[in-house]
Amino acid sequence: MSDRTTVPVLLTYRPWRGTLHGPTYGMWAIARSSLFLLLRRKLFWALYGVSVMVFLLFFYGQYLQSWLQTQIPDEPIRLGSGMIGATVKPKELIDIFRKVLHLDGSGYTFRNFFNYQSQITMIILALTGSILIGNDFRFGSLPFYLSKPLHRWHYLGGKFLAVGIIINLITTLPAIVLYVEYGLIDTWEYYWDAAHLLLGILMFGTILTIVLGLLLLATATWLRRTMPMIMIWTSLFVFARGLSDLLVISFRLDSRWRLIDMWNNLYLVGNWCLRMDPSTIQTPFQPKYIEAALVLAIVCVACILYLNRRIQAVEVA
Amino acid sequence: MTASQSTEYLIELKGVTHRYGSMTALRQVSLRLAPGRIGLLGPNGAGKSTLLKILMGLMAPSEGHGRILHHELKSGTSTGNWELRRQIGFMPEVDALVPGMKGVEYVSLAGELFGMPRRQAQRRAHEVLTYLELEDARYRKLEEYSTGMKQRLKLAQALVHDPPVLLLDEPTSGLDPAGRSAMLRLLLQLGKDFGKSLLLSTHLLGDVEQVCEMVVILFGGEVRGQGTVQGLCARRHDRYRLLVHGDTKPFLDELRHEGVEITADNGRGELRVVVPPDWPIRNFFVLADHHQLFIRGMIRDDESLEELFYRVVNR
Repeated sequence: MSDRTTVPVLLTYRPWRGTLHGPTYGMWAIARSSLFLLLRRKLFWALYGVSVMVFLLFFYGQYLQSWLQTQIPDEPIRLGSGMIGATVKPKELIDIFRKVLHLDGSGYTFRNFFNYQSQITMIILALTGSILIGNDFRFGSLPFYLSKPLHRWHYLGGKFLAVGIIINLITTLPAIVLYVEYGLIDTWEYYWDAAHLLLGILMFGTILTIVLGLLLLATATWLRRTMPMIMIWTSLFVFARGLSDLLVISFRLDSRWRLIDMWNNLYLVGNWCLRMDPSTIQTPFQPKYIEAALVLAIVCVACILYLNRRIQAVEVA
Repeated sequence: MTASQSTEYLIELKGVTHRYGSMTALRQVSLRLAPGRIGLLGPNGAGKSTLLKILMGLMAPSEGHGRILHHELKSGTSTGNWELRRQIGFMPEVDALVPGMKGVEYVSLAGELFGMPRRQAQRRAHEVLTYLELEDARYRKLEEYSTGMKQRLKLAQALVHDPPVLLLDEPTSGLDPAGRSAMLRLLLQLGKDFGKSLLLSTHLLGDVEQVCEMVVILFGGEVRGQGTVQGLCARRHDRYRLLVHGDTKPFLDELRHEGVEITADNGRGELRVVVPPDWPIRNFFVLADHHQLFIRGMIRDDESLEELFYRVVNR
C-alpha cells in the first residue's frame, strides 16, 4: 500500500470547477484592491478628514444661514453699548455674510466647494499616486496583472476606477448632498429651478475625474515614487499659477499664458459647467472657457498616448 | 495530420519567428509537444521569454503560426487570447508582488483577475496557500515573505483557478538547495499526481532533469533539440563505458588505431569511448581477447542532459 493511503494527507491539492467571469470583472477587483491599499494609510484618512470638515462647514453653514434668516427680526438692533456700540440691521448682516460665503445653493456655492475640495483631492492624489499605480512599476507588479486574462486597458481601467472613486467621494458626492440639502431647506422648486446646477456638478465631477485620473495614472507611471510625484504636481498646479500670474499680470503678456496653469483651466471649465459668468472670476485676464477646455483635452489625449505606449503586455516575462 | 491527432498536442508551433526590430529573438521555431512536464532549456537570451510571451498570447509571432490548448496564437491586443490565458497559470521570474497586500489577498485577487467570483476566489486562495504550506503566513504582508515563500506564493497565484497548464519562468530562481528541492518536488507532484501540464523555462539543467519528461533546447532563438529527456540523451549510440581488467595500454593503442576515441581513462580499468560510425562493437571483445584482456562490463554511455545541452548548443 502506498504512503498516500496509509498516512492521512491533509495538505492536498483540490481541483476547482466553476464559471469564470469576463475580463471586465477584473477591473473592479483591481479598483477595489487598490482602494483597500489606500484605505490602510493613515495619511489618507487625515487628508480625507480635512475634506469632510470642509464639507461639514458648507453643510451646516447653509443650514445655519437659512435658519438665521428666519430667526432675526427686520428691526435694527444695538450691538454693544456706549462709544463702542453700533446699530446694525440683521438682514443686512446676513446679506453680507451671504455675499462673502455664498452658502445659498447657487452656482457660487458649488464653485467654491469644488475649489476647496479639488485642492484637497490634488494633495491626496499626489501623495497616494505611488500606492495606487507607481508601486506596480517600482516593484514589478505589472506582470502579475498583465499575465491574467486582461487587456492592459482593463488594468488601467481598474486603476482609473479607483482614482475616480476617490475624486468623486471628495467632490461630486458631497456636492450633490449639498444640492439636495439646500432643496430641503429652501423649497421643492429649487430642484427644478437649479437643475442646471445638478447637471453642472455632475459634469464638473466627470471632468475632474477624467483629467485628474488620467494625469495621475500618467505621472505615477512615469515617476513611480511619491516625492517626484509631489514635485511634479506642485509644479503643475501651484508653480504654474505663480508663473502665469507673473507673465499675464506683471509682464502683461497675452491672457492665454494662463493656460499653462492646469488648476486654472480646471476652474474655468468648472465655471462653464456651472454656467457661471466669466466676469465673476476674481483673478483678472482669463482666457476663454473653450481654450481652457481645449488644453485639458490635449493633456488627456497626451496622457492616454503615453499610457498606451508605456503599459505593454510584453513586459510580462 | 488529422484533426483528432492535432487535438492531442498541448503546443504546436510551425515556423514561428519573432523579431524585435532588427533583432531576431526566435527563428523558425517548430514544436509539437504533448501534454506533460516540459522543460524549456536555454541560456539567457536564447528566446525562452519571447516564446513564453507568444505561448501566453501576449505577442503575435512575426512569422509562422501555432496553437496552444486548441487556441490559435494571436496578438496580445486581441480579445481572443483571454480564453487562452484563463487556461494558463503563469509564474513569473520577477517577484511581481503587490506591496502592502497580504498573502491571501494577493492570491484571491489573482483568482478574481482570472474571473473567479470573489467569495470562491477567497476560499480557493486559502486552500491553495494551505496546500503550498503557506497557511501560517497568509495574513502576513508580502514584504515580509522570504524568497522561498515568495516563490511558493507566485505558484499559488498561478494555481488559484486550477488551470490545466502552468508556465513557470525560473521557478527555483534565488532558492537555497532545500527550497529548490522542495519546489521541484511540488512541481513534480502537480504534474504527476494532479495532471497539470508544466512548461518549465529554466537555464538549470538539474531542474529539468528532476521534473520534466520532455525537453526543448533553445539556443540563439532556434530549437536545437526536442523530445523526451530519455530519448534525447540516449540518442547517441556511439558512446560506451568499458570496465576492463588487465594491461590496457596495447588495447587502447589498438582501439585508437581502429578510430575509436578514448574520452576518459581513470587508470583503474574504467574507460569511456566513442566509436566511429558502423564500427561493430563485438570488436571490443575481439581486441580484448587478442590482448588477453577481460572485459568486466560494457554499457552504453548515455549522454547526461548537461552533456546533451552543451553538445546541441555548441553544434
